[in-house]
Amino acid sequence: MRLQFLLRRARARARAPSSLNNAYARTIRIPPSQNARCISTSTFQNKPDARNQPTPGTHGAVDPDELSHFNALASTWWDAQGPSRLLHLMNPIRIDFTQHCLAMNGAPAAPDGLRVLDVGCGGGIFSESIARLPTTAHVVGLDPSEEILTVARAHAKKDPTLTGKLTYINSTIDDYRVEQQVDLLTLFEVVEHVPYPAAFLQSCMRHVRPGGWIVLSTIARTGSSWFTTKFVAEDLLRIVPRGTHDWYKYINEAEMRAFFEKQAGWGAQGMLSMGCLYVPGFGWKAVKGSEHIGNYFFGVRRDL
Amino acid sequence: MRQTLLQLPTKHSGWAFHASRLAQIASARRSFASEASPSPEIYDVVVVGGGPVGLTLAASLGAARTTSHLKVALIEGMDLTPTRNWNPKPDYFANRIVSLIPSTVRLLKEIGAWKHIRQDRVQSYDGMQVWDGMSGARVEFDWNKLWGGKDEQTDTTIAHMVENVHLSHGLLKAIGDLPIQPTMIDKTKVERIEYGQMTGQVDMRDWPVVTLSTGQQLAARLLIGADGGNSPVRTFAGIESRGWDYDRHSMVATFRIEDDSAFPKFAYQRFLPSGPVAILPLPGNYANLAWSTTPEKVAHLKSLAPEDFVAMVNAAFRLSYTDIDYLHNLKSGVADETKWRESVTKYPDPPQIPVRITEVLDGTRASFPLKMKHADKYIAERIALVGDAAHTIHPMAGQGLNSGIGDVYSLVKSLTEGIRHGQDIGSSFTLEPFQSERYLPNNALLGFVDKLHTLYGFESGPLVPLRSLGVEIINRDWFGLKRFLMSQAAKS
Repeated sequence: MRLQFLLRRARARARAPSSLNNAYARTIRIPPSQNARCISTSTFQNKPDARNQPTPGTHGAVDPDELSHFNALASTWWDAQGPSRLLHLMNPIRIDFTQHCLAMNGAPAAPDGLRVLDVGCGGGIFSESIARLPTTAHVVGLDPSEEILTVARAHAKKDPTLTGKLTYINSTIDDYRVEQQVDLLTLFEVVEHVPYPAAFLQSCMRHVRPGGWIVLSTIARTGSSWFTTKFVAEDLLRIVPRGTHDWYKYINEAEMRAFFEKQAGWGAQGMLSMGCLYVPGFGWKAVKGSEHIGNYFFGVRRDL
Repeated sequence: MRQTLLQLPTKHSGWAFHASRLAQIASARRSFASEASPSPEIYDVVVVGGGPVGLTLAASLGAARTTSHLKVALIEGMDLTPTRNWNPKPDYFANRIVSLIPSTVRLLKEIGAWKHIRQDRVQSYDGMQVWDGMSGARVEFDWNKLWGGKDEQTDTTIAHMVENVHLSHGLLKAIGDLPIQPTMIDKTKVERIEYGQMTGQVDMRDWPVVTLSTGQQLAARLLIGADGGNSPVRTFAGIESRGWDYDRHSMVATFRIEDDSAFPKFAYQRFLPSGPVAILPLPGNYANLAWSTTPEKVAHLKSLAPEDFVAMVNAAFRLSYTDIDYLHNLKSGVADETKWRESVTKYPDPPQIPVRITEVLDGTRASFPLKMKHADKYIAERIALVGDAAHTIHPMAGQGLNSGIGDVYSLVKSLTEGIRHGQDIGSSFTLEPFQSERYLPNNALLGFVDKLHTLYGFESGPLVPLRSLGVEIINRDWFGLKRFLMSQAAKS
């Protein structure tokens, strides 16, 4: 019920005249210069600068440290009690939010079945579930780690219904050269692991057809997100291994909104967000206003 | 709380889930045929056990919109045909009857089973008489005697008594009405359960594969144990079930009784130290017995001549426990013995006690052992347990089947949520909500009934007046306790 209410609010906000959106964004947007005071690297860098040149042989969109970190997580990715448990529990709300975005414009988003590109698919938690929905035609899961994709492919083989409906490709978004654009591009818990999110998002945007959606989830850069994702989850309870998150890479909802407002041809027909909180014993719950506190979902439509 | 199961999917999203691509399963199956053995046929859900709980599950999966496309198989050892074609004689009621609480009936209505239940063979009751065999302390649950009485809005029915075979018949009819039929495999035993194999295309090493006595093999995305207290599915899953035997058997029988039309239909239960004895109402001048007592006393009851058995049951609601204990020593002549003992004993009149029974129906005397068992958990990867496979309860509160049907409702709800979110219905993430919704309530119910059994096991000592005091407090409706209990029972 609450989720429905929040989504309705979010929808109303997304449908409001763009001037209101801008005004709303302006009031809380933190100018980049101000950002620089509290974080080591500017959150939204468009280009790698000289000091942060990626090591040769790796892709600009991928941090080699992140790669090795996720490789270490590969074996436990589908362990129901393992470090990825919270991601598994978050998956239904990912589907709900995605479905809501796709349903926003009335008519079914893709009458012939949805084509999906899941960027940073990891072990395939979301890729598998969106592929199982009868409204989905085909899903491509993209991840720079071959090791994790080995896990993802092995897991997908456990379900014969996924055969032919789900393909995993070891690639970065920059190197992914497929002409056909998708109806839905998803980035779940990805942008906070990417060194140059603006360039990365722009690479993603190329792959979305007019009228299609980018749906992402990430974490806002706040005191409470530092406390929950770094201190509690990594240091205190050790739910996830240390170094899973880099708090300085987190992007706030207002920053995300401001970024997409600047992109021509995006967001005029739909831009919405929804905050969610993990309540121990109850799971993930959509909570109004929490997009400014911690985890949030963000959906933006490419204009038709 | 209880949303309408059938409307769940429409309520939450605009997405229609059409008959799905799960049909692909069927074609995929051919591609991973291994050379060694014929490949198992793939099912989304394999239900082991065709009792009322297993049948309710099959009917619910077929009736709920989101789950109706699933490929379901149900395996039952017995022949289901006589139950399907059940055609009862009007002057006969089976000895195994079940009490369905209103929430169970609501589910049966939703899945289209209740319309196949012949209402002339259902006896509902909205009053209960429960008393202590030692002190006589009594609780009367009777809406008509409560202040204010009952109003039109409140459904005051405590439960509906239905023969087990009648319920199963209705469920089989409902399954027969389904647009997509589950595969019903009866007269067939489960030979073994093992995990599947890895083939070129598909990895079925965590899929349970059921091999039947016919040699047929079924691979289950989700294997459901609705296979009773000694559940082979539970054993396969390696789930421990803990509890104890009560060293008590339940004696059942169906009787013809004196005309009781002057009285409301009540359920009667008297707590004797050896266990409770209950008379449950059936339509017309019929009633059913459920007498929990020691195996020796049950053997005695079964050995008695019909007229002595009838006298014994009448005595159980009238004479003192000492008298009843003595009567258990008589091999014959119980009828004469009770006559004079009852003439010198003061006991209440109907409707505080049941009217006299006059005759036991031929071949309805039977008994079964009583147990309390609770599985450590209800789920494992690709496995779920429902009904007696998960929990076996003392029948004194008539809650065994009702809690099993509660399991089914909750499980189908969890599967619906899982399907809506693209989860594998066998994954523990899909099944976890079912377990967390059912485990604690079932545990509380099992514990409560078990404590009652212990509490009323004392013939004397300080607990006898204490339990009687508790019963008095409830009966006088102090603190509104009785009204609360009754409205809870009607609502639940």
